[in-house]
Amino acid sequence: MTTTVSDRKQGSIPPSHALRISGAVLAVSSALWAYLVYSAPLDHIQGLIQKILYVHVPCWFAAYAGFGLTAAFGALYLWKNDERFDRVAVASAEVGVLFCTLGLVTGPIWAKGTWGHWWTWDPRLTMTLVLWFIYLAYLLLRSFTEGSTRTARFASVYGIAGLAAIPLNYFAIELFGGAAMHPDNLERDSLGAGMGWPFVLGAATGLLALLHLILLRVDLETRRVAASPALADWEHDEGF
Amino acid sequence: MNALLAVLWKDLLTEWRSRDRAVAMLLFSMLMVVIFHFSLPGGATTATRAYAPGLLWVAFVFSALLGLGRSFAIELENDAIERLARAPVDRGWVLLGKTLANLVILAFVQAITVCVFALVFEMDLTPIALELAGVVALGSLGLCSVGTFFAAVAVRTRFREVMLPLLALPFYTPVLIAASRATNSLFETGAVSFEPIQFLIVTDASYLIASFILSDFILDE
Repeated sequence: MTTTVSDRKQGSIPPSHALRISGAVLAVSSALWAYLVYSAPLDHIQGLIQKILYVHVPCWFAAYAGFGLTAAFGALYLWKNDERFDRVAVASAEVGVLFCTLGLVTGPIWAKGTWGHWWTWDPRLTMTLVLWFIYLAYLLLRSFTEGSTRTARFASVYGIAGLAAIPLNYFAIELFGGAAMHPDNLERDSLGAGMGWPFVLGAATGLLALLHLILLRVDLETRRVAASPALADWEHDEGF
Repeated sequence: MNALLAVLWKDLLTEWRSRDRAVAMLLFSMLMVVIFHFSLPGGATTATRAYAPGLLWVAFVFSALLGLGRSFAIELENDAIERLARAPVDRGWVLLGKTLANLVILAFVQAITVCVFALVFEMDLTPIALELAGVVALGSLGLCSVGTFFAAVAVRTRFREVMLPLLALPFYTPVLIAASRATNSLFETGAVSFEPIQFLIVTDASYLIASFILSDFILDE
């Protein structure tokens, strides 16, 4: 998208078509998903608290996809040295951390009601916590590094290393850590009647929300970059 | 390879002349052992020996972080880091040289820390000294390889003292888990279990190879 200096100063860059479309699809999908979650039957053992899984599981889909995109676009940035890839990487990391945080909040609520504990040192839980720390450190690294090229380069390396650390951490915790309590991946027919569709649509809505938020964040970053010369001029004029 | 030896020699010589990093690390790790004694219920005695492997590795990790942070901070003086990056050699060897220098300095600190630790916890470690040295060396190689790599990143940031632990600690988790398990089995049975050693070798190799490959992106002018 090309922008003029007057556009930048007035902040009148219109949202992209992709952003509008993803927003509309997300709105429809969210409404349908909320209805399916509401009308899904109650689990005969866990009761109402089981419904938190319709939120919890999509959060993980979105978080892992976000972290995967951070590493993928970080690698693309290192390869092509194109700033646009870095914008997608930082957007994916921020949105990934957001969904990871939601997953880490919703999981213990369900666990307390079902297992009787807020937290256990289960391999999958511990691994996710480590991953959350890694990508929070990624965001801090970006804030504390000076120079846009160096920031992008360091962050790309850390984003890739973070994803590469998953198997090492997972095996370490599985081999020597606590016993596994977290349910395995869902298998076909493992859910009760009427519970499948809210899960499927929940996962799709989670990924759509990830996509929409990434587009929104990339759009914001593009505006910030476009506005920075004008902002620098303004700061200079105001004597900052 | 010559670059590796040159950097290793330069770092060790600098440290030998000033001795500031090793002394600071040693004092810090010994203080930690004393702090452990006061923090444990009833003090560090045979009754609290079950915590010893974990506490020993906590002391190693934090004293390593202290020293690793300095390893690149000294290169900022007179812009020495720029000259290191501009040297007509593979940057991977430069990073590996610094990693080995850090490992040697850390090994010196660890040797004395273990003696103090054995005294405080009333443990006789002489029958397992050789095995313990092997486990500590393997664990420390993991700490130094990934730690030196992130020290090169952290030194170029604001709040570099805070950034290094934040960047490195999540990557220390697998090393710490395996090394403390191996040390625990050594303290309890007098023999090293194979699984954590195997895991440490894989982790060390992964960290060394990854830091060698990615060194071009972090050692800049």
